Amino acid sequence: MTDIITKSPALQTTPLATDIPVWRVRLRLLWRGIRTNVALFTENPIGLVGLAIIVVFASLIVIHPILMKSVWDRNVYDPVLGIDLAIPFHPAPPSPEHLLGTDPLGRDVLSQLMHGTRSAFILGSLAAIVNFIVATTIGAIAAYFSGVVDSIFMRIADLVLMMPVITILIVLGSLLNLEMLHLAIVIGILSGLGGTTIIIKSQALTIKVRTYIEAARVAGGNDFHIIFKHIVPNLLPLSFLYMTFTVSAAIAIEAVLSFFGILNIRMSWGVMIHTTQYAGYLLDMSKWWLIFPSSVSISLLTAAFYLVGRALDEIVNPRLRKR
Amino acid sequence: MRRYLLRRIFQNILTFFLFLTAVYLLLDAVPGDFGDLYLSDPRLTPDERQVLRARLGLDKPVLERFGIWLVNLLQGDMGISFSNYPRKVLDVIVERAPRTILLFLSSTVISYYVGFLSGKVLAWRRGGPLEYTTTIAGIALYTVFLPWFALMMVWLFAFTLDIFPIGKFLDPVLWRAAPVDANYVFHRILLTAVIGGLVLFVWLYFAQRLDPAKRRPVGWAGLVVVIVGAFLYWNTSGVGKYALDISHHLLLPIMTLTVVNFAGVMLLTRNSMLETLREDYIMAARAKGLKDAVIRDKHASRNAMLPVATSFILALAFVLDGGVITESTFSWPGMGLTLLTAAQTQDVPMVIGALVFTGVLALTGHLVADVLYAFLDPRIRYS
Amino acid sequence: MTDYLLKVEDLTMHYMTRTGEVSAVDNVSFALRKGESMGLVGESGCGKTSIAATLLKLLPENAKVKSGKVLVNGTELLSLSEEEMRSIRWKRISMVFQAAMNSLNPVYKVGDQIIEALENHNMISSNEEARKRVEDLFLLVDLDPKMMDQYPHEYSGGMRQRAVIAMAMACHPDLIIADEPTTALDVIVQDNLLREMTAIQKKLGMSMIYISHDIAVIAEVSDRIGVMYAGRLVEYGSAKQIFKRPLHPYTHGLMSTFPSIVGPKRELKTMPGEPPDLINPPSGCRFHPRCPKAQQICSQQAPEFRDLSGDHYVGCYFPMEVTFDGG
Repeated sequence: MTDIITKSPALQTTPLATDIPVWRVRLRLLWRGIRTNVALFTENPIGLVGLAIIVVFASLIVIHPILMKSVWDRNVYDPVLGIDLAIPFHPAPPSPEHLLGTDPLGRDVLSQLMHGTRSAFILGSLAAIVNFIVATTIGAIAAYFSGVVDSIFMRIADLVLMMPVITILIVLGSLLNLEMLHLAIVIGILSGLGGTTIIIKSQALTIKVRTYIEAARVAGGNDFHIIFKHIVPNLLPLSFLYMTFTVSAAIAIEAVLSFFGILNIRMSWGVMIHTTQYAGYLLDMSKWWLIFPSSVSISLLTAAFYLVGRALDEIVNPRLRKR
Repeated sequence: MRRYLLRRIFQNILTFFLFLTAVYLLLDAVPGDFGDLYLSDPRLTPDERQVLRARLGLDKPVLERFGIWLVNLLQGDMGISFSNYPRKVLDVIVERAPRTILLFLSSTVISYYVGFLSGKVLAWRRGGPLEYTTTIAGIALYTVFLPWFALMMVWLFAFTLDIFPIGKFLDPVLWRAAPVDANYVFHRILLTAVIGGLVLFVWLYFAQRLDPAKRRPVGWAGLVVVIVGAFLYWNTSGVGKYALDISHHLLLPIMTLTVVNFAGVMLLTRNSMLETLREDYIMAARAKGLKDAVIRDKHASRNAMLPVATSFILALAFVLDGGVITESTFSWPGMGLTLLTAAQTQDVPMVIGALVFTGVLALTGHLVADVLYAFLDPRIRYS
Repeated sequence: MTDYLLKVEDLTMHYMTRTGEVSAVDNVSFALRKGESMGLVGESGCGKTSIAATLLKLLPENAKVKSGKVLVNGTELLSLSEEEMRSIRWKRISMVFQAAMNSLNPVYKVGDQIIEALENHNMISSNEEARKRVEDLFLLVDLDPKMMDQYPHEYSGGMRQRAVIAMAMACHPDLIIADEPTTALDVIVQDNLLREMTAIQKKLGMSMIYISHDIAVIAEVSDRIGVMYAGRLVEYGSAKQIFKRPLHPYTHGLMSTFPSIVGPKRELKTMPGEPPDLINPPSGCRFHPRCPKAQQICSQQAPEFRDLSGDHYVGCYFPMEVTFDGG
């Protein structure tokens, strides 16, 4: 009777698992993982569109200093201090010398736009990094220790979530002198302490109950070792995801605040619009180059990061994963 | 349910005090203090300054000052506004708060109602160019730079098409001969809206209990009744045209805020519906032989509503922020604009007052949303 | 020829997926008499649930019925319009879903959900009548009628299962399809439930199709058993025939995989290999890569599904000759 089973053709063909070296297996799995994720990402045109927009803007950051060093005269094209004395009346409409015209103070709009891209990226990245650090650490700690620690952080998160960010920043801006760095840190902390922590914490909770954590504890790992070596690495994908959303938010927030004139930033897209308003040209459509390039850029870049975030969401978020 | 409610109210009060503490710490953390400004008169000798500081209570320890501030606040004394001198901060808030509340309520109610309906229908009809275009339009509206969008609305509807006024609360020329003041009229408008809304809500609630056949016409009848009622009231009140003027100025800000919120709600409802439709009980409902519309409206959307209600709790803050931006762009004198101008002129008491108001509004909204959610989800109601 | 309640003829259904066309149900034919219970057994992914979905026409959008007929009391189902089908669903054929816990809508009371089914098929004319009906149903499945006004989350797992069974019986259908109804429950509850279901079924004279991957469960409740492999029905006969004299090598393998208390001690076997990919299934007989009796013809042409002896059907060129003792 045994030969019914042992003579089965299926038994002859599967290779034994011990034949292949471990490092090669790991490498193969990694490569396959990357390929699947890239495939998942590109499946969704949304992510690609967002990525394309980001790349276009990023190129502006690189082009600007090149232009400033070569073709553009510093005195004329400097985004903050430049002024074109050759043209009698500012703001001047677009022309071959000034592709997007000049602003009411005589500065080249395109140059400002490019400079603003750099501020936007720097601000966004800083805020995102702070968000990442704050949310991941607090989320992991709250999930791991639970009890009182958890409650306190959740109460704080509730409070932060509840408060409108721009309102708080307007208040802060009126009391303190906010510069780019301060703004980035505040945005990072606020967004990190708020919604992101809650999401990271629930993810950390699902990790905490997995058996390898139990095993690590039995093996004698101390608390912080477990948190940072075991829990946090599994949180990284989700944390990275929320970094993109933070960048998106940071850019929009800075733009609004600069538009209101609350911040102490010399040049950014929001400042460009503020200058326009200050000079009284806000509703003047004949001077469209004063608000359209900056507003459209803000909307586009905010949307771009948001789209990339959504596309990443499909890959990273365990709930949405269609596998 | 009662226990849940009580727990939430208690938590809310706790959060409120946490909030006030944070606000005060913020105030205190700012280098220099009120005394520096007030006592910056160079003619004062250091001794006199010291005495005045003691009189103002500025030399007391932090905790004591916090205590005094808190007690005053809870009694409604928030100081006197610098820029609106000599009006008290509380008076300014009392005047402007109803306006922001009306803006907030109307745009939220409309955007959530319409957003939910359209998201629900959109999810049901999958595929096709409609889904594609609405998704893109939705994302565009969701991420657009709000001040610019508001500006475009002003430019299009007010400047070019001249349907609405460009900004502000009312038309000063019209009001020169008015027998009543704007706040009087406005409070009546707010009341009309709230009462009308409540009546309609109750009417529709009871209409649900009827046969499906009668439900629709009765619902519409209710809407007609409310509108006619409001119309009659204003016609006989004698100040109808002033109310119309204020409403006219109200419409574009509400529209702007509503459109932006609507996009997010629609997309969220659609996603929520799509997820709900994958659930087993939907399959079971189909197996029971129920009609598509019934499955969509009775089974799916009722469950899809839950994440949307939760999202409202989170979106609250964004709506409030959006209100600030909208009010500023339209120069519409609500609490948002007040906050901004106070910040720009460094009118600290007013800024703090506006901040406290925002906190109270946010907390109340949060509480209402919590109650609503508990009402919608029996798993919370009965556990 | 006794009259059959359900006759399935050459049913073929494919899923159109991004990676290819999945041949989920291929040329399946069987028949069920009134009052008979049939067990459909097979590994995960062999097509058992797909058949159930096809019978009720509850297929997802990417599913296509390629050919075949489904006759219930003479009415051909596959050619019916959606609206006609809706009146059939639940009234003629109802279903108890896999993981039935989730087939109750969490925001409505359990009683109301059953009443909804009754209303939809015009089986009651007043609220009181509806409630009385639900009470009777609850008593039938051993549930306290007072639970009718509770929400699903207030029920325990076993209670929810009973409620779902009650709901399936509400319109007195001719046929109930039970898809893994006891998988999520512990053995004791499972045992009770199975006993009750069989009793109710016999008492009300309903036919039942019982889908499971667990042979032990199938053995307890079925009059007839169908064995599925890779989308095809490989063997179909009475429970006794299948257990005592499994003809198909796959069925034989299945029977060898669990121990029996009586009879001599023998080694517990497993079947090596995996179920095939249904996008590119093996040619000819789909079991041939794993079959110890496979010959060349098995890989060239699919064997005919025919009656070998006394209503015992098998689809194999070289059926087994061995009889089983015990088990």
